[in-house]
Amino acid sequence: MAMLEVEDLKVYYDTAEGAVKAVDGVSFEIEEGENLGIVGESGCGKSTLAKALIGILPQNGYIAGGEIRFRGEDLTEAPERRRRELRWDEISMIAQSAMNALDPVYTIRQQILEAIEAHHNWSRTKSQERIDEMFDLVGLDRERQTDYPHQFSGGMRQRAMIAMSLVLEPSLILADEPTTALDVIMQDQILKRINEIQEASSASMMVITHDVAVVAETCDRVVVMYAGEIAEEGPAAAIFDEPYHPYTLGLKSAFPNIREADQDLVSIGGHPPDLHDPPTGCRFAERCPMATEVCSREDPPEVEVGGLRSYCHHVDDIDTQLRPVADRAETWQNTDAADDRGLADD
Amino acid sequence: MGKLNFFVRRTAQLVVTLWAVATALFMLFRLMPGDPTSYIVSPQMTPEVRQRIIESYGLNDPLWVQYLRYIENLATLDLGRSFNTNSEVSEILATYLPNTLVLMLSAFVLAYAVGVTLGVLTGWYRGSRFEKSTVVTALVGRSIPSFWVGILVIWVFGATFGVIPLSGMTSIGTEPEGFVDMVTSLDFLHHLVAPMLVLAFYYMGYPLLIMRNSMLETLSEDFIDICRAKGLSERAIMFRHAARNAMLPVLTAAAIAVGFAIGGSVLIETVFGWPGIGREMIRAVMRRDYPVAQGTFLVLALSVVLMNFVADLLYGVLDPRVTYE
Repeated sequence: MAMLEVEDLKVYYDTAEGAVKAVDGVSFEIEEGENLGIVGESGCGKSTLAKALIGILPQNGYIAGGEIRFRGEDLTEAPERRRRELRWDEISMIAQSAMNALDPVYTIRQQILEAIEAHHNWSRTKSQERIDEMFDLVGLDRERQTDYPHQFSGGMRQRAMIAMSLVLEPSLILADEPTTALDVIMQDQILKRINEIQEASSASMMVITHDVAVVAETCDRVVVMYAGEIAEEGPAAAIFDEPYHPYTLGLKSAFPNIREADQDLVSIGGHPPDLHDPPTGCRFAERCPMATEVCSREDPPEVEVGGLRSYCHHVDDIDTQLRPVADRAETWQNTDAADDRGLADD
Repeated sequence: MGKLNFFVRRTAQLVVTLWAVATALFMLFRLMPGDPTSYIVSPQMTPEVRQRIIESYGLNDPLWVQYLRYIENLATLDLGRSFNTNSEVSEILATYLPNTLVLMLSAFVLAYAVGVTLGVLTGWYRGSRFEKSTVVTALVGRSIPSFWVGILVIWVFGATFGVIPLSGMTSIGTEPEGFVDMVTSLDFLHHLVAPMLVLAFYYMGYPLLIMRNSMLETLSEDFIDICRAKGLSERAIMFRHAARNAMLPVLTAAAIAVGFAIGGSVLIETVFGWPGIGREMIRAVMRRDYPVAQGTFLVLALSVVLMNFVADLLYGVLDPRVTYE
């Protein structure tokens, strides 16, 4: 049994215009000690997913279906009291922007101590030792525990955030864009630090990001999300070397690769669909160069291909038709062109 | 060093502001229509007597001489004597100001305690029926004139049901021995209740609405999500984190509002016959009693300026991000 099993999870937001289906039928698993990356562009539901897992959806957000099983226990059915026990102690998180993730009016020490006190009756000495240990671990000066967040630089704040997320030795850490707010050098340092700590602590981690490079550096397995659904899932190496979903191919071409010097960066034309009323069939169809009539009619099948789990009608044609041209900007700009190329329906 | 420097600089500003206010007041009263001497001299007096009285007040000197003398006296805290009763203005202020302060501050403390708490709750329970009705009540309290509510309260509870006194601060016939004795008497509290509640109802809306807005802003901050993720109780998040942060703008607003509240006491004191400084100010203006009017205005201005000063200092204490560089 995997440590975390998410099955057909649906998370909706109530709005004046009706329900927004932010996460719509997502299934995946995280094994003990595994690093799972969740990749997708803004608004694809990846942050919502994290909030649902830890149970901090905003007031208008709710789980509309599916199960979240943590070590076999279905969290969607668990009472609030039980959920609160699990938070931070078992499932903790590293927030998207460390800049605002710490309360400005309390010292770092007070805030870490608060997390400890919410779950344990440790003695003052034990808590202090633990905080000292955490500060050493993330490479912060112990003396600065009594500083306020504004006295820390961005990178220091993110380290403090990581120290806080690890203080109770959780089994699962949800890292929501852990490095987005940092400069490239600091990003690299933080990622290395996260990897080291994780190896030492054997915790599992779910890294949520739109930055493919972050995932490539930290994750064993990757889930690619698009418009509230999973597009493709599989081992990190396979996802980035030879993906089969057109969206993953596009995403890959949209990111710079250090090894390919004069690579043209492409952007995928169009916008994600409105999640109030998502289109039938494949949600990526509208922007997909491979799309045919069947794509907007029928939900894509789950296909096992090249070690990946891919949701696409045209998996068989990817190698011949899309992969050779995936790194060309024009491929992604004129999505109507697919018909002209005379792709046949499955 | 930074703190002391800030304090000194801020105090200097305070003095300059007060000087400007005092000067403006001096001009204002001299520009007002009507001749103040008509109140202190009577037509029956002989011209020599009249002249002597005017001279004794220094009103025959050129304006700039009067102004210099005025500033000089102010600097030594000598506010002059009333044209009307000939008693020291500072004595008049000392008599009436405490009455105003008791009324204002009790109403203020009540209004802010209730208002801030309701602000926290309405922010937290956004969209609930409780929130809607509370916000509407606060807006109503803020919008209808407090003197009208005062008159209504006197009419219903005073005249019709007879549960509150109609006017004044103490009953006729009671002779309190000193201020403390009076303030602690049941008779005084009985008189205080109605004007205090009317004022508190009026004041309450402001902190409530600011606190609610501030809460809504704070609740959307990332650190609130993290607090929830940490497994803290709802109450800890609501008060220790959300309210604590949302409080900052309310406190500044409160300190400034106290200053204005003392000036705003005029109407309520008049309606409830409360012998406070606001009512005294009106009387002084009606009588063209320059020294008393100037004195009361100065006190009001001083309270606004001083509370601003307090707000500045308070912010530095409450928000660790504020520095005095």
